[in-house]
Amino acid sequence: MLGLRSSMEETNTFDPELIRAIFKLVWERRASERERNQLSETETELGPSTTKKTRLTSVNANALKLSCELLRLFVTEAIQRAATIAEAEGSLKIEATHLERVLPQLLLDF
Amino acid sequence: MASDVERVEEEEESATELLRDRFRLCTISIAEAEAKQNGMEVSQPIVACISDLAFKYAQQLAKDLELFAQHAGRKSVNMEDVILSAHRNDHLAASLRSFCNDLKAKEPQSERKRKKNPKNEDKAAVEVLHIADP
Repeated sequence: MLGLRSSMEETNTFDPELIRAIFKLVWERRASERERNQLSETETELGPSTTKKTRLTSVNANALKLSCELLRLFVTEAIQRAATIAEAEGSLKIEATHLERVLPQLLLDF
Repeated sequence: MASDVERVEEEEESATELLRDRFRLCTISIAEAEAKQNGMEVSQPIVACISDLAFKYAQQLAKDLELFAQHAGRKSVNMEDVILSAHRNDHLAASLRSFCNDLKAKEPQSERKRKKNPKNEDKAAVEVLHIADP
């Protein structure tokens, strides 16, 4: 069973449930911020019951897998680009200076 | 009231920290595997740094995806939203598009099974024949 699983998932990636949890936290925070803003604006005219109606954003399973892939690409690109610089400098270990060199372009590319 | 807000913020902070740590564990295994493939070692602070950057990116991504979905009048994020978030980089978008097609290719099998009524009818016909045989 374990052997089968590892052969099916050759490349390790992020846990989709972890990414869902991160997304949810951001969305909850934004929703509560919105609610707070709405409340302070319409405190006198409307009760809080109407603002509760807004449903939280959700994400489907495939979109979540795709997001994991996007984040995985970010990490592997960072390592690959830094590795290229390290190799050019004749180093066998990726150090801070190597990452520094590739960081600006990396951040522009994502 | 003020302490209430503070307490909520504290809770949010600890929740974020927990997720950040779990995220870091995932990043370490991905980064080390990738470095190994390139015949490189990678120092721990660098992996931690990449992890924090990726975590920030994930949070920004969450914001983008929510806005894209809302703009399309949806409450749920789908694959198109994720691809759209990478539209500035053609290579990245193309790579995501092909991953998306792979996912789609895996999925519809169950749907096709459901839709293929003719096969069921064939089966039924065979069964009828079998019954008619003896």
